[in-house]
Amino acid sequence: MTTIPDQSAPEQSAAVVLADISRMLREVLGEYGMDDAVIEADTKFHEDLELESIDLVTLSGELRQHYGDRINFAEFMATLDLEEIIHLTVGQLVDYVVSCLGSATSVRGQ
Amino acid sequence: MAMVTANGIRHHVQQMAAKDTVLGEAPVVVFIHGLCIDSLASFYFTLAAPTSAAGFEVLAYDMRGHGRSEKPATGYRLSDFVEDLHELLNEMDVHRPVHLVGNSFGGTVAFSYAVAHPERVASVVMIETGPATEDWSTELGAVLERAKQLEDPEVITAIEDTYDPHTLRRAKSLRDGLRNTTIAREVPSGPLLSAEQIESVECPVLAIYGGDSIQAALHAKPLQRLLPRCRAEIVPNASHWVLVEAPQAVRDLLLPWVSEHEANASLLLEGASA
Repeated sequence: MTTIPDQSAPEQSAAVVLADISRMLREVLGEYGMDDAVIEADTKFHEDLELESIDLVTLSGELRQHYGDRINFAEFMATLDLEEIIHLTVGQLVDYVVSCLGSATSVRGQ
Repeated sequence: MAMVTANGIRHHVQQMAAKDTVLGEAPVVVFIHGLCIDSLASFYFTLAAPTSAAGFEVLAYDMRGHGRSEKPATGYRLSDFVEDLHELLNEMDVHRPVHLVGNSFGGTVAFSYAVAHPERVASVVMIETGPATEDWSTELGAVLERAKQLEDPEVITAIEDTYDPHTLRRAKSLRDGLRNTTIAREVPSGPLLSAEQIESVECPVLAIYGGDSIQAALHAKPLQRLLPRCRAEIVPNASHWVLVEAPQAVRDLLLPWVSEHEANASLLLEGASA
């Protein structure tokens, strides 16, 4: 069951992408009874949200379903080393998504 | 999330299509993760995207009892995992002989699969493991026996005091997995392979080890004694988790390996149709 992504969507601001990703993360976190977690740009996937890597595979599927094949989380992660993955923040993912969608706005530093 | 029922178990599957396929059918690479605390994520975030970018079809799945796949209470012999893989390939219509790439226990599954279904395997890549021998069983049994200490609340408290919350959560999840299933008792029981069965493997075999791990010392020499053509590679400064610690090094071994041995897939197909 897949939804067809809207390829004609206008450029999305980092704030919208952050809100989208936060919603997806809350769904994943709901399994752990943590769906009230505060999610911000500097929130770390592993240290703050305690997500397992298999949870990030689920998130990867959600991202692709929402934004289409332009977003390839696995490809993005494969460019990072282990330390970078351990300390990966929501904001870094937002920046990656925004860059793929063609917007110049950054969420980091907010 | 794609779920595929194979051998009566709902398996979580992730596929990535081959990019920039050259003429003909793309090689198929199947990733098989390790035991207990591992899942397809270890491959998904390291080798899967570069493998797809290299022009190969990628198939990764969570084994029974792992990740997002079904977790039956029993049914964790090596033969169950081998049969799961066989039915999964059939369910997914993968009839081109595949390159099996297994991490730790997943590599042992891959090797046993090549013994059971040689016509379906173009090559085997084992990371940090060896075939299911008596020595393999003894070592794995000892590791799983030690993991039983997690049942002791004092051990959990010690982990809580010493390590980060993430490690604690993994320890608890390992403890619960071992408590709720017969995996620790069943996996080391094999079925183990005889020397003749190991020698029967004709497809190319690559064994990759972390330089700081004991696995090379345990497995590389016995494996090469039985399979003289087997290639063993050691990645320096890496532990048992060489796949996630040094993905670039593993990738640089894997991608040329698949290209080099893909002709074997065509040969097997011709042999099957002859």
